[in-house]
Amino acid sequence: MISRLLICLALFSWASVARSAPITFNTALPVAQSEFVAREQLIVNQSGKDPSGLSRDRTTWAAISVLGYGVTSDLALFGVVPYVNRDLTLDMGNGPVNRHASGLGDMKIFGRYTIYKNNFSGGNFRVAPFAGIKLPTGDDNRSDGAGRLPAAVQPGSGSWDPFGGIVMTYQTLAFQIDAEASYQANSTAHGFAAGDVSRLDGSLQYRLWPRTLGSGVPGFLYGVMEANLIHQNRNRIGGVTDPNSGGTRLLLVPGLQYVTRRWIIETSLQIPLIQDLNGVALRNDYIARAGFRFNF
Amino acid sequence: MMKILKRSGLAAMLILLGTVTALAEPQSYSLKVDGLACPFCAFGIEKQLSKIDGVGDLKTDVKAGVVRLTMKDGSLLDKAEAKQAVDRAGFTLRGIEKVRKAPQQGGESQ
Repeated sequence: MISRLLICLALFSWASVARSAPITFNTALPVAQSEFVAREQLIVNQSGKDPSGLSRDRTTWAAISVLGYGVTSDLALFGVVPYVNRDLTLDMGNGPVNRHASGLGDMKIFGRYTIYKNNFSGGNFRVAPFAGIKLPTGDDNRSDGAGRLPAAVQPGSGSWDPFGGIVMTYQTLAFQIDAEASYQANSTAHGFAAGDVSRLDGSLQYRLWPRTLGSGVPGFLYGVMEANLIHQNRNRIGGVTDPNSGGTRLLLVPGLQYVTRRWIIETSLQIPLIQDLNGVALRNDYIARAGFRFNF
Repeated sequence: MMKILKRSGLAAMLILLGTVTALAEPQSYSLKVDGLACPFCAFGIEKQLSKIDGVGDLKTDVKAGVVRLTMKDGSLLDKAEAKQAVDRAGFTLRGIEKVRKAPQQGGESQ
């Protein structure tokens, strides 16, 4: 089911809780020792281009809460709690049928450690690998009048899925560049295993305002442009590969971000440029995001 | 002779008074921080520095990469503590300078 890819897309924005940072993925910028940072993000994920002829239309709303804690200035721990609301409408020939579920999704916990940093006047460069696990905290056995809901609609996956990657950040007063490579290995639950997910992400944040910096700590308005290259292997159902699942997507993500000393507000729109998906996997229309971050 | 003694004593008292006043004035420092490049980062540095005993006012200039720190009356900044605080925020303390007050008319510079 390609839906697992969409779920991953929606929830993979977990880590960028600290500093001006990418909107759709992680950053290597530090969380100060013994301090907390938090992030809230609302995500609307819409898919309605259906090559199968079943007129499938799926909308997922997700509210993602992230808390980050600086164990040291190099080691940070993060917890991600999603609340999801999923709707799938399809027509099997007897008129449209709606399948729906909402509730706590699968939580994630992970750690990030800075292995290289170079602080210089007016900027810095950092490299930080990270690793964690997605926990089966969401309900994965919901049903309605038509029977057990498909995996695409269940709030949780039921599986323990480890993930890891590496992120690098180059930040100056005028702009910031982030890049990340990551991999998530999805395991089996209830006979279903979503395909593993590989990602390459890039982000440029450019200070639009103030054009000329004065003294003090002014708020920064960043124009953001990101790209997500995401590949998912085919799913396996009962040990059999699903030919209508998995594939590769390239998304372009324009956005805006306003950064102050204590908080950040941001919004972005993920637009699919390329969707090279297998079989009749459901195509994505867009993913919209809005949120804020807070420095305790 | 008495006049000279009186004038000398008065002068000595004024010098002593000036010195005591200068010592009692809050000490200010300028901390040059490497890595500081955004407003959100400034808060983390200020918060770590504010945990040092005796720290009063903190003002950051992101463009200059400088935190101006004023101690409470009678306190002095321990440079090692300041370096640790900036490290804990994830940044690097490049240098500390004691800020000298600009000379005022009829007053004296510190």
